[in-house]
Amino acid sequence: MSDFSGMEDLLQDFLQEAHDLLSDVDNKLVDLEKTPDDKGLLNDIFRGFHTVKGGAGFLNATELVTLCHLTENLFDRLRNGELELTAELMDVIMDATKGVREMFGELGQGVQPQPADARVIAALQGALNGELPTSGAPAAAEPPPVQAPPPSSAPGGEPDWASLQSAITGEPVKAAQGELITRAEAEPVKASAAATPAVAGGKDTAPSPFGRRASDRPAATASNSRRAEERGRENTIRVDTSRLDQVLNLSGEIGLTKNRLTSLRADILAGKSDSETLHALDQAVSQLDLLVSDLQNSVMKTRMQPIGRLFQKYPRIARDLARQLGKDVELVLAGEETEVDKTMIEDLADPLIHLIRNAVDHGVEMPDERAAAGKPAKSLVRLEARQEGDHIVLIIADDGKGMSAERIRAKAVDKGLISEEEANTLDERQSLNLIFLPGFSTKTQISDVSGRGVGMDVVKTNIQKLNGSVEIRSEPGKGSVFLISLPLTLAILPVLLVLLGDQPFALPLSLVREILPIDQQRVQEVGGKETLVVRGEVLPVISLAKLLGWPADRSPEYGVFMQTAERSFILGVDSFAGRDDAVIKSLEDFRPKGVAGVTTLSNGQIVLILDMKELLTDFSQHGDTGMAIRNFEFS
Amino acid sequence: MAADPKTRFLVVDDFSTMRRIVRNLLKELGFTNVDEAEDGAIALQKLQGGGFEFVVTDWNMPNMDGLTLLQTIRATPTLKHLPVLMITAEAKKENIIAAAQAGASGYIVKPFTAGTLSEKLNKIFEKYGQA
Repeated sequence: MSDFSGMEDLLQDFLQEAHDLLSDVDNKLVDLEKTPDDKGLLNDIFRGFHTVKGGAGFLNATELVTLCHLTENLFDRLRNGELELTAELMDVIMDATKGVREMFGELGQGVQPQPADARVIAALQGALNGELPTSGAPAAAEPPPVQAPPPSSAPGGEPDWASLQSAITGEPVKAAQGELITRAEAEPVKASAAATPAVAGGKDTAPSPFGRRASDRPAATASNSRRAEERGRENTIRVDTSRLDQVLNLSGEIGLTKNRLTSLRADILAGKSDSETLHALDQAVSQLDLLVSDLQNSVMKTRMQPIGRLFQKYPRIARDLARQLGKDVELVLAGEETEVDKTMIEDLADPLIHLIRNAVDHGVEMPDERAAAGKPAKSLVRLEARQEGDHIVLIIADDGKGMSAERIRAKAVDKGLISEEEANTLDERQSLNLIFLPGFSTKTQISDVSGRGVGMDVVKTNIQKLNGSVEIRSEPGKGSVFLISLPLTLAILPVLLVLLGDQPFALPLSLVREILPIDQQRVQEVGGKETLVVRGEVLPVISLAKLLGWPADRSPEYGVFMQTAERSFILGVDSFAGRDDAVIKSLEDFRPKGVAGVTTLSNGQIVLILDMKELLTDFSQHGDTGMAIRNFEFS
Repeated sequence: MAADPKTRFLVVDDFSTMRRIVRNLLKELGFTNVDEAEDGAIALQKLQGGGFEFVVTDWNMPNMDGLTLLQTIRATPTLKHLPVLMITAEAKKENIIAAAQAGASGYIVKPFTAGTLSEKLNKIFEKYGQA
């Protein structure tokens, strides 16, 4: 049951906005480590917690209010120069931020957050009293800062407090003060923050206003955050109103054009068919055509979100991991404003986290190694997004030690993923791609962030699910670059229409490298399989007819050079019908193997969109060209 | 000035969820003529455009905070008569004093209910009605 019945909308709004705020705070915290005295940053972070606290109050999320309140007070001290930002204090703050995020997770499931980890609360209160969790920290030597006098203290030498207060609260002085005190009591935050004596590390010092034991918390944390992650998908989207206005405008205009068509139909049905009427009909239809495609574009745009929303959380992740590993890494973001389809942003979260962790963990060297190599101690990992034509390109680049093709080959042979002979035929690029093979990366990396382990093979599979591709470039000693290329949107798929006889089929254009005529004279039989040499590369020729189990009564005339995740090959077809932007309709109840969906051509004909990967898997299992394909798997 | 349901409000807060909360509470009280601003600077621009009769503002905001907004309103001849209700998360004495000295018409602490808001508004309406 939800603790928020009647407030679901408010809760959704709050969570979305508060999530953004917290990501912003996270980034500012990373910046703050570089410039601990930046008053502007301190102020912004203070305001972040303050704002979340204010909103949480309306949701009666007492525990969230408490945690934010303490953290906010800490930043108040910091910005006033009453406290000094030490590494230990930074850890306390990071823990508090993590606690806030976990509470968002609980709220997202419609339950009131559990009290924060008692140790975090104790550490915060300790820090507020000038005691840091680790003894011997420089700030601990300073005298504890003076606490603000509690509201009930005698107003000596103050301005005319009573009358001032009465003036704005509009109440007699006594009552007003009474109200103030009641408020302070009603809100456990204020009471606990002021009255609880803070002892660092003390379990019992945490406020437990509702009789819950604070020590219940740590055990619950892991499963809670896991659940939060799984439910993390947002069902709402924030759209610039100007984009919605455009959709509205266009639908209005389509309405007008429809009216025009209705009246023309009446005319034509009444027997009017002079050139003027037909011309008007032609005009109206062309206009409708234009408007509908504009409308499609506009609707698509409402789904586009700046990728910065995803990028935001990565500097913090990189920083935490680097610190854990004893490395000095800065994650530099670029192109945050690049817009990507919302569903894609969600599906990119895990692969990107993995690649960033990979860069920090494996790509970047330890500080002493860097010094020995004559590199600056701090390593830069660059995360960049940009649009190139109808593609989005994501780049994760590090300035670390790079990857050695030789060592990767050796490891793959070692693990029995490829044979010695196969290894010898691989060039540099093909060798680097070996890291995407299932079973290559031994470490079962459990991501702190996603809560589940992902290997490089999963990264590749996830990107491919989005019709994208990953490429690696690496220079030993200088660093590695992962290039991810993605289509702008998943709703429209650029396809190549090929013909088998008269029957058209659609192939995802992203897999097509080139189209070439198949000269039967040049087709060579290798081990009983047909192959063709294209610029020195031996590629298997697979006829689409065979793949579909059709009778292959004639040899294919054209070949489509295709590159899927695992293999390159030439798909033999009879002819082409051109390229098209297919709007994919998925087959919901009935999904034949090897068919990704259907689309309709302009003439109304229904065309199957082929899922090459599935078709090929099926094909290999039947053994026909299985070996041949296997041999060229890494081409 | 009576509690005219057509009273034009300007709600100032950098947190859109909060603006929505205040807007909803005002609606609950029968006030539907509400505009919003994201910070003091934007609020001031809107106010200078004219037509507003009541300002409800948060304290802590980027660019221009609520207190500066209040002080600017009081220092601007065309705006200084406007009732300004301050919303804050703190019941701190220093804050209340600062708000009162700057000329706030009222002060309300988050979180609050429609009832509390109504009470504060009515007091301000009464006060302005008498003046």
